[in-house]
Amino acid sequence: MSTKHSSGLGDRFGDGLWYVYVGLVALFLMTPLVSLVIASFYDGRFFSIVDYEFTLNWYEAALTSGSVRGAFTNTVYISVPVTILSTIIGTAAAIAYTRYEFPFREQFKLFALLPIFFPLILLGLGMSMWASQINLGYGVVPSIIGELVWISPIVMFVVSITALGIDPNIEEAAKDLGADTVTLYRKILLPLIADGVVSGAIFAFVLSWNNYYIVSYLSGPQSTITTWIHGRMTQGFTPVVPAVASLIFYVSILLVIGAAVLEYRSVDEGE
Amino acid sequence: MSTIETLRAEIDALEGDENPVRRLLSPPGILIAPMALLLLCMFIGPMLAIVVFSFQTGNAIALNPLEWSIATYQEVIGGMASGEGVYGDVLVNTVAVSITTTALTLIVSYPAAYALAHKITRYKLVFLMILIIPLFTSVNIRVFGWALFLVQNGVLESIVSLFGVQEYASLMYRRSTIILGTTYIYLPFMLFPIYLSMLSIEDTTLEAAKDLGASRLTLFRKILLPLSKPGIIIGSLFVFVLSLGANVEAEILGGGSIFTMASNIQYSFGYSQNWPLGSTQAVGLLLITVVAGVVILRTIDLREIAARGD
Repeated sequence: MSTKHSSGLGDRFGDGLWYVYVGLVALFLMTPLVSLVIASFYDGRFFSIVDYEFTLNWYEAALTSGSVRGAFTNTVYISVPVTILSTIIGTAAAIAYTRYEFPFREQFKLFALLPIFFPLILLGLGMSMWASQINLGYGVVPSIIGELVWISPIVMFVVSITALGIDPNIEEAAKDLGADTVTLYRKILLPLIADGVVSGAIFAFVLSWNNYYIVSYLSGPQSTITTWIHGRMTQGFTPVVPAVASLIFYVSILLVIGAAVLEYRSVDEGE
Repeated sequence: MSTIETLRAEIDALEGDENPVRRLLSPPGILIAPMALLLLCMFIGPMLAIVVFSFQTGNAIALNPLEWSIATYQEVIGGMASGEGVYGDVLVNTVAVSITTTALTLIVSYPAAYALAHKITRYKLVFLMILIIPLFTSVNIRVFGWALFLVQNGVLESIVSLFGVQEYASLMYRRSTIILGTTYIYLPFMLFPIYLSMLSIEDTTLEAAKDLGASRLTLFRKILLPLSKPGIIIGSLFVFVLSLGANVEAEILGGGSIFTMASNIQYSFGYSQNWPLGSTQAVGLLLITVVAGVVILRTIDLREIAARGD
């Protein structure tokens, strides 16, 4: 075997190909989202790139429509409590798992993170049957509880990763120096995992904001943005649908970029 | 500050206490309790409901403890075993969609994950953002975007018409369109686990192997493949299980003409109101999911992910 080392030029060409490949994958992932945004600004029946007619009418219609506004309000009523509660539940479980020793610790982790890997249709329909058996009913509150089951474990996952990166001896040191439990949490543990908690909370909000399966099974007569879009997609399409979907997408994209910047900053500091 | 003082005193009192009930109110008990309670009430309960209802008869929507039956199991398993009728189609469609999706996402993701971990240095954050954003966009919205791209008079048609292509077969409502949708939706679930395991391979290891004369094939077989194996396992199981539950993709891109397991479950619950029949199919999905989920969680090492930093 000859040990052939490619020249500098060849290497650079090879590296360029990797960029092209990842660029193509990125293009593939962006295709439907870009199509959506293009369609949302398009005024006309037959789509054409050559004579594209730009309009903001559909956005205006989306923002003034009563049914869209109702769906939007319901989505906020679900997403905000889900964000707050799942952040608390997930962070608490993450702290317990990463910073304490207790019996069945690994089993607890396994159990608590398992819902992440469940297809949402399975969670949704199980919850739907269960809700009718225990008289939980359907609406905003059952939707909140249902989404918590999927989202709290995700928050736990995100916060655990941050919390595992912290020196395990830090609590011992603080206790040796005379810190009690409340001081330990307020001054040491919570500030150290703060970035993880904030990214967890942002992810929680965005996932709840975009959730379809669980809400569709539990929201009953209340429509949310995602069930509204789904309904209009399957029956009664109007050009307002791309505009509503785009609006939801803009909110998500801003928040995800915010979370990424936060995460990136904390990694930079850590190095 | 007085509330904090009281809280402080109370928690300290709790910690020294040997009473088991009071101990539960101090960390870690109090930290575990909300999650455990939530999952017991709203995760274990619903999954039990699926199993219990699968053994009920007729169109039961309330539990009848006197009547149990395995009729729906006979119907579903018999149908699938014979390979004929609705369940034969469902089995073939579901397996075709899930296995093809898993294979395609693996083929597309593997080189991309390698490039992101070892080759891409400039604009890396931008690329990662583009790959992450779809994960946080509603499945409805993404599938809808594909429909807008593919439909007649859609975005694709207006692009190809620029090149003079006027007539081509409709791309919607086929099994391959569903596979395009599921491949798209679940690609990030394959990409990121493999990317994370690729990050654990040091650039210096790859350099050293090259310097020692390893060919590209040897490099791949002896270093990349074994070290990225956990990522491949996690990603494949993740994609396989999630694509089994793909319903919106089948509904929108398949136009309701192609039934997969998920859409058939949905149909049993929604349209035909047959909970036992829907539950029986869901039990199959549940079993596969639990096994895959446990394998994934045993393979993931949170400590290792945390240690990697970026």
